[in-house]
Amino acid sequence: MKSDFLQAYKTMLLMRLAEQEIANLYLQNKIMSFVHFYVGQEAVAVGVCDALKKDDKVLGNHRSHGHYLAKGGDLKKMICELLGKENGLAHGKGGSMHMIDKSVNFVGTTPILGSVVPLSCGSAFEQKYSKKNDVTVAFFGDGAFEEGIVYETLNLAALFKLPLLFVVENNLFAVNSKLNDRRSPNYDIEKIVTGFGVKYVRADGNDYQDVSKKAKNLVEEVRTGVPVVLECITYRHMAHSAPIFDEGYREEDVLEKRQEKDPIKKIKQVLLESGMSEKELSDVEDDIKKNVLESIKFAMDSKYPPKESLYTNLYA
Amino acid sequence: MPERIIKYTEAIKEATDQVMEIDPSVFVIGLGVSYKNGADGTTSGLKMKYADRVFDVPVSEAAFTGMAVGSAINGLRPIVHHGRVEFALFASDSIFTQAAKWNYMFGGNNNVPIVFRINVGRQWGNGPQHTQALYSLFGNVLGLKVVIPSTPKMAKGLLVSALRDKNPVVILEPRWLFQLKQDVPVEIYGEPLDKAKIMKEGKDITVVSYGDGLVSALEALSIIGDSVDVELIDVVSINPIDHETIFKSVKKTGRLLCVDTTNEAFNIGSEIISKVAQNQSIHLKNKPTSLACPNVPCPTSTALTEFYYPTKIDIANSILGLFNKPKVDKKLSFEELHLAPTLTII
Ligand SMILES: Cc1ncc(C[n+]2csc(CCOP(=O)(O)OP(=O)(O)O)c2C)c(N)n1
Repeated sequence: MKSDFLQAYKTMLLMRLAEQEIANLYLQNKIMSFVHFYVGQEAVAVGVCDALKKDDKVLGNHRSHGHYLAKGGDLKKMICELLGKENGLAHGKGGSMHMIDKSVNFVGTTPILGSVVPLSCGSAFEQKYSKKNDVTVAFFGDGAFEEGIVYETLNLAALFKLPLLFVVENNLFAVNSKLNDRRSPNYDIEKIVTGFGVKYVRADGNDYQDVSKKAKNLVEEVRTGVPVVLECITYRHMAHSAPIFDEGYREEDVLEKRQEKDPIKKIKQVLLESGMSEKELSDVEDDIKKNVLESIKFAMDSKYPPKESLYTNLYA
Repeated sequence: MPERIIKYTEAIKEATDQVMEIDPSVFVIGLGVSYKNGADGTTSGLKMKYADRVFDVPVSEAAFTGMAVGSAINGLRPIVHHGRVEFALFASDSIFTQAAKWNYMFGGNNNVPIVFRINVGRQWGNGPQHTQALYSLFGNVLGLKVVIPSTPKMAKGLLVSALRDKNPVVILEPRWLFQLKQDVPVEIYGEPLDKAKIMKEGKDITVVSYGDGLVSALEALSIIGDSVDVELIDVVSINPIDHETIFKSVKKTGRLLCVDTTNEAFNIGSEIISKVAQNQSIHLKNKPTSLACPNVPCPTSTALTEFYYPTKIDIANSILGLFNKPKVDKKLSFEELHLAPTLTII
């Protein structure tokens, strides 16, 4: 158990430290790619992906650095993509919003809100059609959940009994719009989801233990063809699409509250209570930091794609 | 009149504000339009002034656009804002098939006075799913009036006219131009929705463009200097295209270059060149030429976008080449290549 937690802590910390460095690069104009930071939501990606097998598939949205790393992604290739380099995940064609890595069954990400949902349904459809015993996970936000295509897909997934786990990361905001501005006072996500015949579970997205415990139980059920929505309530620590802080519109998740509920602080506390020392944990942190800095250096030193690559890949 | 230099985005906001003051049936709806810096500044402050007429919405483009169309059918005048054309595509039924066809299919019984403000095209680091310049898609849909404001002055005047029109008007706003500045009249004024505009008269060659391509063409003029006398035309409307203005110019110059900042296939230049070839070929001294983006989506990496859009140097050289003049050999800086222009248009 302790080693599971340690591994989860490491992955979450890797995301956090990597994004802090990515934020620095962004502010220095070194990243000419639209970047949405995952800081604060790490427990969701890690908690869910810890419940998956390698063959299970994951799709994401515009805020998917964490989803990719949690699925076993390669930090170097990810940063190369962010920097627009040839050896990035999409050879520089995609950038931060478009990540793909079939070697870890990371199917792809798209920033068009809601679009990931029917595509994930198609992935689950293939898994069932081909009689694989695998599941697909779609990560998307509370904002995306408002697209009509999501509701249509809930029906499809239930109708076809697909092995699809919808993970709704509810960080309370769509850009700066609060839930109250976007949903009727009687909006009840549980009733909506279950009304389509899809199972609904809610987790504390700031708590790795809660997410991973629920995800582990659910994924085995999903595998039998029961689609599920797992809604994780969490906080997005940075601004919508930049590390710049605009606290003006925040009420429910003010800075102190975000810090108090920080998922990394929480899991660290669990590790300390299980007997690990501060020293051991800071050694872990140093190692990860070193890895992050090496990856960034590697990416900075990597080559840009050649001009000809502009014209390739439109068709296979 | 004293000069008053304002930004493209401010010109849009001013037009909206001035029309809202006069016409209570106008309202604004779209994602984030009520924010302090709403819709990139094009709606900032409006929520404070018109609390009940500016609506932020759920991320539900199909539904809220359809709702706006339905309200226009019933007499309101919505301004629907979509921050990127890709988001508007979720609402394509409401725009292309409902709003655009309603008056015609009901035999002229019910006009649909609605304005769709849709941001399109180029922006650094936004990649294949956020930068599509789908101008022709809208040009191809009958029943829509479609305009492209290329300067702050036009942004204000076209929006005012769109809001006075009885029909669905799509305003395709190139994001790349949001920081452009110009001396814009304070008072309310309209610009014709169906007329091309001659930006500079000349006798040697007709250059037709719109949006970011037009701004690059304007910059190309100062690179070329006096060596070629260019007539530069802002196409303004792509549905319908004002072919007469272009024909008249081509008759005079005998040469035509079209500059598009969308891919080569099925672009605005193709349409213009086709009509000129059919109607004006006896006046042509050279074959018409076109500069456009290659037929691939716009990638993300700056190493690749560097070669994607026609630059002011490309435009200058293509004009100089037609007259066998020496080409200019100048490299653009990283900022010139990848950051949106902040220049002031005269
Ligand atoms: C179809 C569509 N509409 C609008 C947008 C613009 N947009 C990008 S992210 C975002 C908010 C998304 O909120 P949510 O889905 O909750 O994800 P979060 O950013 O909070 O992680 C919006 C409105 C978009 N990308 N796609």
